[in-house]
Amino acid sequence: MTRAQQTLSIGLLVASVYMVAFLGLAPLPAVIQNELIPVLPIWAIVSFGAYLLFKLGYGVLTFNDVPEARAELMREIQEAREELKKKGVEVD
Amino acid sequence: MAPPADKYSVLLPTFNERKNLPIITFLLARTFAAHNLDWELIIIDDASPDGTQAIAAQLLRAYNTPKQPPRIKLQPRAGKLGLGTAYVHGLQFATGNFIIIMDADFSHHPKFLPQMIALQKSSNYDIVTGTRYAGNGGVSGWDLKRKLVSRGANLFADTVLRPGVSDLTGSFRLYKVDVLRQVMKSTESKGYSFQMEMMVRAKAMGFTVAEVPISFVDRVYGDSKLGGEEIAEYLKGVLGLWVKV
Repeated sequence: MTRAQQTLSIGLLVASVYMVAFLGLAPLPAVIQNELIPVLPIWAIVSFGAYLLFKLGYGVLTFNDVPEARAELMREIQEAREELKKKGVEVD
Repeated sequence: MAPPADKYSVLLPTFNERKNLPIITFLLARTFAAHNLDWELIIIDDASPDGTQAIAAQLLRAYNTPKQPPRIKLQPRAGKLGLGTAYVHGLQFATGNFIIIMDADFSHHPKFLPQMIALQKSSNYDIVTGTRYAGNGGVSGWDLKRKLVSRGANLFADTVLRPGVSDLTGSFRLYKVDVLRQVMKSTESKGYSFQMEMMVRAKAMGFTVAEVPISFVDRVYGDSKLGGEEIAEYLKGVLGLWVKV
């Protein structure tokens, strides 16, 4: 089963359950039926969007910079240049 | 009788890597020697016009000892034929039971190889991959915009594919040789998406993957440009994998 098939199947399942509730086919308390169910999809989309945005922002804020790695690499490049010259390899 | 010892074959596709090649070779040789590991380096050069092969020839003379199996092999190709086929080509000449793939431009530092090898041994993982996004992995040389694009791309792939790997586009990996052969056989993408597809397929085939945080030093020489075209290709790649795997 591909990822697409899996996602769409779960989506279809969730949509079916929602349709049952939306069409009033299942007995639900009036408050839930009239006020909660109709707005559930939009609430879900907005919440998911907010969640993704948060994950993105958090990821960028906590992005690990590694200046020490660059410094170390520069030193190693120097060292490599000298060693390689001794072995007869040209390094630009 | 003791089981045959492990040997690590590094596949290094090169195109215009005249400056980087000797240094990355030096770092690899030093790391492997320091950890007493049997190794070889296979350079797959796609007819670089800058004289990469001349440098490679000098490295062969410097590092190969006569009467011993060669440490460095140069397996050139007639032209720029793509990354996937470079690995297929190089794999033919690999004599190790483990394959390491990495970039030649210092973004992947050989110092992480002993950690990757040790992790592989600890639970006999099929694949060990370097990650820039988990643990104390990180990047040097990226501005805010680049970080945003990178995180966004990773988030997109993560949400769509849910691959279970924190760095999907990373290409610093250690594979068991048979695992690599099997995964490559079923991989269809070319270019950028190739590395992504290999990882997604490997996980789908049930291979075990472990991660080692790495520090990725970008833009040592010059600019690394990430254009709109590459981003579009990436998005297409992820969606393609969504429906294929």
